[in-house]
Amino acid sequence: MSDRTVYLRLGPFTASLTTPFEKVVEQLKRLYPASFFKPSAEFADFHVALLPGKGLRRHVRPQARFLIDGVEHFKPLPLSQALPLVEWGLNYAIAGLAHQYLIVHAAAIEKNGKVAIFPGAPGAGKSTLTAGLIHRGWRLLSDELALIRRQDGKVVPLARPVNLKNQSIDLMRRFAPAAVFSDDAHDTAKGTVALMRAPEESLARIDEHAPPGWIVFPQWRKGAPARLENFSRPAGLVEIAHNAMNYSLHGAQGFELLAGIFADSGCYRFTYGDLNEAASAMNALAAA
Amino acid sequence: MTGTLNLSHEDAIEAGTWRLSPLVRWRLWQDEAVAYNDHTGDTHHFADFAAWVFARLCQKPESAAGLAQAAKTSVELRSSETHDAVIGRTLDLLWRLRIIEKVQPGPGPAR
Repeated sequence: MSDRTVYLRLGPFTASLTTPFEKVVEQLKRLYPASFFKPSAEFADFHVALLPGKGLRRHVRPQARFLIDGVEHFKPLPLSQALPLVEWGLNYAIAGLAHQYLIVHAAAIEKNGKVAIFPGAPGAGKSTLTAGLIHRGWRLLSDELALIRRQDGKVVPLARPVNLKNQSIDLMRRFAPAAVFSDDAHDTAKGTVALMRAPEESLARIDEHAPPGWIVFPQWRKGAPARLENFSRPAGLVEIAHNAMNYSLHGAQGFELLAGIFADSGCYRFTYGDLNEAASAMNALAAA
Repeated sequence: MTGTLNLSHEDAIEAGTWRLSPLVRWRLWQDEAVAYNDHTGDTHHFADFAAWVFARLCQKPESAAGLAQAAKTSVELRSSETHDAVIGRTLDLLWRLRIIEKVQPGPGPAR
């Protein structure tokens, strides 16, 4: 087992990934287009590695370790969880290092030239909603980290595989049968996890930035009708500031950036229980 | 309504008045306010009476008595507290958050 390095495009970034795990590279190649991979690159923003566990344990219960610039930030995970570990680790690297952007823990999708930002606590249903909408006419900018440019407040695409959990996996396999999925990784800290490849149009338009148009706080509730309600902009701003990874680093500039976005965007709470209804409601919002 | 506070010398010479800290950035939307405090790095959301007081202080420095007087004619309280008491409590909260500060009298003209 010898290490190889691949260079992977992640929106505006390039990551170099060194690993001996050929199977993980093969899975990544299912999830990212061939044009996003390069055998070499002059520069990489992030240097990460996925390496085998240490010591005797690696022979008994194989593990994978994720390193950023040679430093291990997480505990090793079972080898069966190596692919989600790479995706989570890349998110961690971006969130910890890409401070040229205001980074909000939120999904971002675009329609008619405007971006809907979905901040949300884990379990709010933002990834499921995002996964559904990008198969109903919306463009994926990001599933997990909304990158906001400081100079103009536009959202920079970071279209990567959508991270699905538990019941959402089968739901999306039924909702978007043509979509490409990774193998399921079971018994992770988040339960069963699978990654869904971004739609081709989102990947093809990876360089198209767009301004926010709607800040939407989603909440999935079983059986609930799709319902958009106006939400207080000041309350929304405070909530999104709490969801931002590096808001405190940007200080007053970060506040002014968010205040400008909220001044120009609608702010809503969105409850939904069914993806098709949710798509109708969001499409109506985008058309209004 | 947006901005930061610019205080004139005339405002500053009146003792006992409160003003927004110059390190506070803010926005007012309808009856609510959001403020970023560069002293602390905190962002606050003010609604109801706190938003009313904050919005008044965004316009100009005011004394507690002046605020209470204005509140009596424009704000109906939900509780049985007096306007003076609620103003005092609200100013205390804003002061503890380092959103507002007491205006210090100037040294006066040089002789």
